[in-house]
Amino acid sequence: MVENSPAPLPERAIYGFALFLGSWFGFILYLIWAYVPETWLFSLGLTYWPQKYWAVALPAYLLVSVGIGYILLFGINMMSTAPLNSTHTVTDNYAKKQQQKKFQEEAIPALRDIPISEVNRMFFLPEKGICNSR
Amino acid sequence: MEGGRSRPPPRCPPGVEERPYRSASGAPLALRRRQHSASCRELALRRPRLQLRSLSAVTSAVWLAAYGIFVLSENSMVLSAAIFITLIGLIIYLHFVKIDQESLLVIGSLGIQVTSSYASGKESTTFIEMSRVKDVVINEAIHMQKVIYYLCILLKDPQDPQGVSEVVPLFQSSQPRLDCLMEVYKSCQEILDQRKEAPQSSEMK
Repeated sequence: MVENSPAPLPERAIYGFALFLGSWFGFILYLIWAYVPETWLFSLGLTYWPQKYWAVALPAYLLVSVGIGYILLFGINMMSTAPLNSTHTVTDNYAKKQQQKKFQEEAIPALRDIPISEVNRMFFLPEKGICNSR
Repeated sequence: MEGGRSRPPPRCPPGVEERPYRSASGAPLALRRRQHSASCRELALRRPRLQLRSLSAVTSAVWLAAYGIFVLSENSMVLSAAIFITLIGLIIYLHFVKIDQESLLVIGSLGIQVTSSYASGKESTTFIEMSRVKDVVINEAIHMQKVIYYLCILLKDPQDPQGVSEVVPLFQSSQPRLDCLMEVYKSCQEILDQRKEAPQSSEMK
């Protein structure tokens, strides 16, 4: 595939159908293992199964991890928020390394990150007007 | 300003103006502005003192709960533990947590001094000299689940003249709202502008 588009393609349809059959097969196998008594399975010659304890334990573990995952994600977000005393609230690497283009008359000024002192002066000291930026 | 009591507000000495504001959570604050000279200003944010009714509410709740546990468990240690915890908790709260006043003293040629006074009388002071100060700005940042405005001092980076090496947030425990912050910002900028007008004397160092 040359471009990465989410459009339907014949290969993707085949992959999807194979996954669909595989997941149905897995589900039926799980139901047989969980519900059929061990003696019947032994009489068929299938002796090497995990303990039936896991038929209940694994879904329980999964649901608890999903619940904890919500709380964990919230906590990770809060931990990676910059604290109030870090310079990341004011600037970052891209802003420090930006080039200052020369000011041309009657042209739209180039896009750049405005330092916070200038922004503050524009917002909170209106009587000074838009003074020359240094 | 001293909410809940019917006392008249304390008189300001002449030359000092005091105005009421609110903190981010709605608590009343008082901003006191004092101009010592043309290049020296002091701004103090005062919070209401510890109220007797909240102190007695908390103490009664803790002691009644302890008495209830004592009645159920017949263990007299619960009562002494409750008294001990209340006393120790009150001392720790007054000495380490309850800030009565946060003040900012800006001296144009010298530096900026930040003082926090606790309810127990303790004062903690930080002084930043003017050669290290780049600017005093109002910054917005995400704090917990909100975006708050707060005043902060930007310190210069020795390697990079345009860069910021450190951010010192001010008025952390009072958390005043934007109108109060704008007043403090304007007062500070008037003094900081003076050092730009006389760069020769400060660049001599």
